[in-house]
Amino acid sequence: MANAHQNPAEPHPSLDRVDGRLKVTGAATYSAEYPFENLAHAVLITSTIAKGRIRTIDAKAAETAPGVLAVLSHMNSPGVPAYGSVKLPAERAPVGTAFRVFYDEFIYFSGQPVAMVVANTPEQARHAASLVHVDYESEKHQTDFEANLSKAAVATSVQRNKTSPFQDYDRGNPDAIYTAEVKIEATYTIPTQHHQPLEPHAIIAVWEADDKLTVYDKNQGVKSAQGNLAQAFKLPRENVKVNSKFIGGAFGSGIRVWPHTVAAVLAAQKVNRPVKLVLGRELMFTSVGYRPFTVQKIAIGATKDGQFTAITHEGTGQTSTYEEHLERTILATRAMYVCPNVSTRYRLLNLDVNTPTWMRGPGDATGMFALESALDELAFALSIDPLELRLRNHADSDPERHLPWSAKSLKDCYRIGAEQFGWKNRILEPQTMKADGMLVGYGMASSLYGFHRHPSKAKAVLLADGSVVVQSATMDIGPGTGTAMTQIAATMLGVNPKKIRFDLGDSGLPDAPGQNGSSTIPSVGSAVHAVCKALKIKLLTLAVAIPGSGFADVRPEDVTVKNGRLFPSADSSPGIAYTDILKHHKLTQVEVTEESKPGAERDQYSMYSFGCHFVEVHVSPVTGEVRVKRVVTCADVGKIINYKTARSQSIGGVVGGIGMALMEESAMDHRYGRYVTTDFASYHIPVHADIPQIDVFFVDQPDPYVNPIGSKGLGEIAIVGVAAAVANAVFHATGKRIRQLPITPDKLL
Amino acid sequence: MKDKNEIDATGPRRDGDHHQEDRRLFLKQSLAMTGLTLTPFSFFNAEPDSYSVLAGNADRVDLSLTINGVKRRLSVDPRTTLLDLVREQLGLTGTKKGCDLGQCGACTVHVDGQRVLSCLSFAVMQQGRKITTIEGLSNGASLHPMQEAFIKHDGFQCGYCTPGQLMSAVSCIREGHANSEAEIREYMSGNLCRCGAYPNIVKAILAVKTSGQSV
Amino acid sequence: MKPFHYLRPTTVKDAINALASAPNARFIAGGTNLIDLMKRGLVAPEKLVDINSLPLKKIEQKAGFVRIGALALNSSVADHTIIAAKHPLLAQALKAGASGQLRNMATMGGNLLQRTRCPYFYDTAFPCNKRNPGSGCSALEGINRLHAIFGFSEKTGPPTCIAVNPSDLNVALSALDATVVVQNTQGERRIPFADFHRLPGDRPDRDTTLEAGELIVAVDIPDAPFARNVHYFKVRDRASYAFGLVSVAAALDLDNNRIKTARLALGGVAHKPWRLFEAEKMLVGQPVSETAFRQAAEVAMRDAKAFEHNAYKLKLAPNSIRQALTLAAGIS
Repeated sequence: MANAHQNPAEPHPSLDRVDGRLKVTGAATYSAEYPFENLAHAVLITSTIAKGRIRTIDAKAAETAPGVLAVLSHMNSPGVPAYGSVKLPAERAPVGTAFRVFYDEFIYFSGQPVAMVVANTPEQARHAASLVHVDYESEKHQTDFEANLSKAAVATSVQRNKTSPFQDYDRGNPDAIYTAEVKIEATYTIPTQHHQPLEPHAIIAVWEADDKLTVYDKNQGVKSAQGNLAQAFKLPRENVKVNSKFIGGAFGSGIRVWPHTVAAVLAAQKVNRPVKLVLGRELMFTSVGYRPFTVQKIAIGATKDGQFTAITHEGTGQTSTYEEHLERTILATRAMYVCPNVSTRYRLLNLDVNTPTWMRGPGDATGMFALESALDELAFALSIDPLELRLRNHADSDPERHLPWSAKSLKDCYRIGAEQFGWKNRILEPQTMKADGMLVGYGMASSLYGFHRHPSKAKAVLLADGSVVVQSATMDIGPGTGTAMTQIAATMLGVNPKKIRFDLGDSGLPDAPGQNGSSTIPSVGSAVHAVCKALKIKLLTLAVAIPGSGFADVRPEDVTVKNGRLFPSADSSPGIAYTDILKHHKLTQVEVTEESKPGAERDQYSMYSFGCHFVEVHVSPVTGEVRVKRVVTCADVGKIINYKTARSQSIGGVVGGIGMALMEESAMDHRYGRYVTTDFASYHIPVHADIPQIDVFFVDQPDPYVNPIGSKGLGEIAIVGVAAAVANAVFHATGKRIRQLPITPDKLL
Repeated sequence: MKDKNEIDATGPRRDGDHHQEDRRLFLKQSLAMTGLTLTPFSFFNAEPDSYSVLAGNADRVDLSLTINGVKRRLSVDPRTTLLDLVREQLGLTGTKKGCDLGQCGACTVHVDGQRVLSCLSFAVMQQGRKITTIEGLSNGASLHPMQEAFIKHDGFQCGYCTPGQLMSAVSCIREGHANSEAEIREYMSGNLCRCGAYPNIVKAILAVKTSGQSV
Repeated sequence: MKPFHYLRPTTVKDAINALASAPNARFIAGGTNLIDLMKRGLVAPEKLVDINSLPLKKIEQKAGFVRIGALALNSSVADHTIIAAKHPLLAQALKAGASGQLRNMATMGGNLLQRTRCPYFYDTAFPCNKRNPGSGCSALEGINRLHAIFGFSEKTGPPTCIAVNPSDLNVALSALDATVVVQNTQGERRIPFADFHRLPGDRPDRDTTLEAGELIVAVDIPDAPFARNVHYFKVRDRASYAFGLVSVAAALDLDNNRIKTARLALGGVAHKPWRLFEAEKMLVGQPVSETAFRQAAEVAMRDAKAFEHNAYKLKLAPNSIRQALTLAAGIS
């Protein structure tokens, strides 16, 4: 068994984070931290009712309070050009309408922005905000998911799109479940959970000219934010600059441009000064999305020896009344295991709440909690080891698309994880293992996440001093994008990483996707790979032109690089320094830009990452408190670029999964349609004391088909399945199956 | 002095309250007696404003304090927290605002050598004190051993909680509470990290502690 | 936050006078709860009197009691040799609360005055009798998983308030029979701990019996034979930095495995620290045994009543009492 305090050795050395020094010295600059002369401070005022209209807004006292520059609302907003003007008589927004801030008097959810105070100092703005009085006309609201479940329906966007993956799905015989030899059926509930990155969302909006906007904004995609803002304010795209160089965590909360960002831009226009808006922690519950409340019913039928014969999976998620948020909840069930008869249904329930959004492992973290819990229930019913049950139903090819996997080493993950964890020491019967007066439980679960790769561009510039600047409008919300890209470039170019600078988080850089769906390494890593390759070829061409260089007739594929030098082959000649190539041609720099994009391989292979988690919990029989004592996690995400940061990302996913399993719940009082969890004292995320050492393993074999670097993403798969592994361990410890997260002490007493 | 409503409100309506209630009444009586044995404090009737030490107006109060070794004389809005003072007025943005309610630890700084939450303290209360923020942790160009250890053990991802974790980590060792992984976890629990860098942070602290370096 | 005048007196006399002359003035010490309340607009003093310069930080052994100055920090008290030697229960309770940073800020006096953590109290969009008497108690039929099972009145209608006192320190001080020493313009007043915190009654807005303008100057803890067999047991939703679901302060004086004296108090179950006098009485003279502890827990729970989401406390509390007594007695 692995020593829980020792991490496995690294097969190749990892670069320390390239921005580590900036982060440990406090010099890394996040969105709210850019200095501006004449900066004004904004504070949002949000609705206290869940549905109705604003009758009046009395801002007189606020407007005359010291330092106040403006009180903005739908009464006096300069208006967002893309919204158009309010048509009379005003009507509530139909489904499919993104929320329009300060547009009309309608209230769609409690916590909706209704006004904003702008003042000279933060203290003045906050005080003035408390002086604004909003009078509402309430209407009866519906926010209670479980009470309204019968109203759930197929999303209208799915009804319109016959090829939507969220259409009802039946593979084989949908009635096979009724005739299964052994069957389990259960309903699993996940409450609303929030991303709650440590950095609250923040923006500084600056109108450089009447038609030129710059924002320093917390988001996960500078290019999409740029596009969205340009569209909203009807500006040429190039007139909008988005700067998001350091992001203090997001986990999905920054994928969209949210209303508060637009509000700050409006305010900057109104007061004609740079405006800073930092969301208070309580607004982080209603302003930037959340993992939606979800109820899932799963039934699995199997033979007595544990071969699956039928699976049905029905999932219903929450959304707002004005937008439909769909996520993968039921999709993994079609691909994860071999089973001839599979049916899935996906429904949405519109409630008087704000729209949910993607949160780490969106849909899959939710769906795999249910599926992997249900498998554990079946294993118990069959008296089969849960790992053995998974091996018996392993899908050797994609059972949904009938395609080969591009690569799949899930069996290796199981083997490595089980060995390192000591799974063989698990006693099959629950409630049998004890230590120090605690009930001990071992649980495991599988993990998967779809492969996403988007077209990406990167630019590489070799400078006369031999240093290299690589640029792409990608992001780093924490995983260490710059570090991984530097490492790719260093390897490709044979340049010391210290001589490489990687620029990101700026909309002026070459096109790249936002950081979501575990797509950064697969997409941008491929672009960096491509641009470095192109730079190498360009250097070869330049070298060939140098008389006596020894590069004549050398094929690009034979060229090798090391220590900033180009060699005609792997084992010969002193080669030539990049700096000498430039010097000879009297160049101050060599610059190339490349785009890398996916091709037809997606139609030939099914592409996923796979993995598994093994968890030991101790449960107090006295109090019902659950403590995770150790975790072993193993993933197959293709080639690992940087072990150190990859391992940290996996650990982070496990920590997020522990929070999801044991403590995270955004509780709403449905009489008011309003959250009662509004801060870190009431919405618990794990603290140091909740987290043991976590052992991370990777299969680390390049996937030959996904992209030139053989790497898949890691961010999502790190959390998918963790909650199920914890819940399964709790069952093993206590004999109690908790199907409603989070597993708090009250549920186990 | 007695609140008679209180006696009514907590009257012996259920058996379980009897013991509490009886005791309350007894104590109230004894309290009334002790209330009579007052020490005479003649000075308490001085005119209301004679105590004034720092009777600032509500707009601005003068304040002098030392931040990262630099003595500063400032004039601040009494409502300004120490956190907003360093971030918004002094441009020391290394200290982070995570919750502004004392529930996350991102704003941890040292005041007279002790770790505290700068969001739950008014700047005016720091008169004469020595403040150290993350910008003052390292000695010039060379990093503090804890900063080195965080880089080596990858004790952060997004970096936003990191300054607070570092300030707290240094205190954790100085306070003598870094003797085991378990103790470090307990005494670092006031510093939340949503990226989940906890295991690496614990390793970094333990490494610095066992190295015996001065922190 | 409303603008306020800031004062920093250096004597107790000046501090008390500063408050006496302004009805809407407040003392501030650690600020760990008050600033939070001010930021949320729940408290809006016109004058803030910073008492941190007052000479009230000492921790001393006096004749028959330990005196802890009101401005002694939670961390200083928790790590103090006198406290470790004589009242380890207090140290345990302090270390179970908050975080390293907060314990370096929070003072003894301030901790006594900590307001509830009931979410309905903190959000002005909800009715709350504690914040706005007469508006109603939202927790009663709301989300009340964290709320009281003792000490609310149903005599004249529904309970006015089912919020709980969040302090760990208070639970230990209650078990240790502490006295709160306060000063006002008339002089000194000594308030037995059991009388310091109130039940909600028809004044749920009032947490304590401290009168307007009074300043807590010290807490006295009478000498008692509780240096060894004590335990502060706290149950929470996460392993640290969380308010207790239920906590128990247990102190035993044992003579050859027989209980001479017992002290028991519960936290997280009532508007005030909930001293278990009858359970204590029941334990006196009994041998240390599971049976005795179970009986004590049964007695303790006799009048508990749960609401929609906190019925688990009816089991968690007695379990915790038994566990705390077991750990205090040193048996496994």
